[in-house]
Amino acid sequence: MSTAVVGLGVRQYKRGAAPMSEHGVLVRAIVDACEDAGIDPADVDGFVTYGDDKNEPVRLMSDLGTKELSWSSQIFGGGGGGIAATFGVAAAAIISGQAKTVAVFRALVQDNSGRMSAAVMAHHLTDYIVGVGLTAPAVECAMRAQRMLEHHGVPRQCMEDLVRASYYHGARNPKAVSYGKELDVEEYRASRIIAEPFHLFDCSRENDGAGVVILTTAERARDLKQKPVYLKGVAQGTGKGWGDLLQNDADYASAGFKSVSRRLWAQTGLTPADIDVVQVYENFSAQGIASLIDHGFCTYDTVGEVVRYENLIAPTGKLPVNTGGGNLAQGFIHGIGTAIEAVEQLRGTSANPVPGARYSLLAGGPGAPTVSSAIFSTDTE
Amino acid sequence: MYDGMEVALNGLGNDANYWRALGEGRLSLPKCAGCKRWVWPAPFRCSECGSWELAWQDVEMKGEVYAWTRVRHPFGGAEALGLPYVVASVALPQANGIRLFGLLEPGDDAAIGLKVTGKVRTTHAFDRDVLAISWSPVA
Ligand SMILES: [Zn+2]
Repeated sequence: MSTAVVGLGVRQYKRGAAPMSEHGVLVRAIVDACEDAGIDPADVDGFVTYGDDKNEPVRLMSDLGTKELSWSSQIFGGGGGGIAATFGVAAAAIISGQAKTVAVFRALVQDNSGRMSAAVMAHHLTDYIVGVGLTAPAVECAMRAQRMLEHHGVPRQCMEDLVRASYYHGARNPKAVSYGKELDVEEYRASRIIAEPFHLFDCSRENDGAGVVILTTAERARDLKQKPVYLKGVAQGTGKGWGDLLQNDADYASAGFKSVSRRLWAQTGLTPADIDVVQVYENFSAQGIASLIDHGFCTYDTVGEVVRYENLIAPTGKLPVNTGGGNLAQGFIHGIGTAIEAVEQLRGTSANPVPGARYSLLAGGPGAPTVSSAIFSTDTE
Repeated sequence: MYDGMEVALNGLGNDANYWRALGEGRLSLPKCAGCKRWVWPAPFRCSECGSWELAWQDVEMKGEVYAWTRVRHPFGGAEALGLPYVVASVALPQANGIRLFGLLEPGDDAAIGLKVTGKVRTTHAFDRDVLAISWSPVA
């Protein structure tokens, strides 16, 4: 048995500008996703989220009319490392018969749940961390980025090119907060430094909103409104030598995907060359690049040839990345937008479509010690 | 709601000796009593030999910068450090390369491989005093 995405819903606002509470915005996005799929919201019987989302599914029942809450779950970890993993556990629930129709969701309205960056760090705060001013994800990620540049020789230009490609896509995506706004490269270079090597534009936004992706059996998907997008494979976790180790990780200047990507390729029988389009969770530009390296799209040595602006933009680039604008330019509801764009590419509804795309990769994380990746496909199995 | 950061733990795992020593101006790090491996963060059980016993040893605060960043944005919790400040992860060759966080002071010459010596300092975060290692370039 296989599973497929049948519904997408997203409500995105500027930070502090949501018209409803987080709960209300989430209900809207779930109903949007059900309408998109052509199903009754009351028939959603499973829910899964990540990143410390505070919306317990049981509280949604009176809004949705849920006939039976059969299954709910959440991925451990405060960061975006759980995004793709949600699809893995949802598929497991569906395939094992515990649920029929699962809503993968993430909602973030900061008047209700506080700054997300602070919530992520709350997982890690000890005296080691606060004593040296390592109180924000930007600082942690900047240190790893600095080693990637200074020790491994990754060109600074790659960061700029990923940011430029993100804004190229965002400027052409009506759903993006940067729609209609091209990135001024001089403005990027002159923007204030947050933590070296990150300028302001290397850092993700934080938006209010909610995103929802509905997963069900492939069989049922064929009778619904949208073209099904199948879950081809998914892996989550981390390998020995990586984790919450006060930065004593092996492969320090990476995004922590080494074991996850190895298992993903083994599970699907695919290789990086098979992938048509990639969505990487880039809380910071350098971490997006590290993800591409970890998944085998390039190495420290070849990254300068591969992660180039012309290569990254759809439809002409060889490796179109973050085609909705990504967390940098589309908007950041803790990365759920990257999952939605991964599916839209295979539906053919992306604002920056990659023609004939068959395999779409979603890299969830970094930003937490455990990460996850998934491949969506137009293949029925 | 995350203003509750003041509940930050003292440390991680089995590390009370580290903090006790730091309070006395010393650096003490754990070795596994069974297989004599340096271990960090301090575990309760050695993942390699299964021993539950740690042998703590004083270690000279000498090392080299493994990674660093110069922070210019006023992040919450770091107010006492002023801006900019430089955070470094420092590798200790005498303890099999264990890496410890610290402040690089002064941080103007921050670079990977920079040789540094450390001393204990007190800083202040989330309304409490916190011990940290202040690393300085070797003259
Ligand atoms: Zn041992």
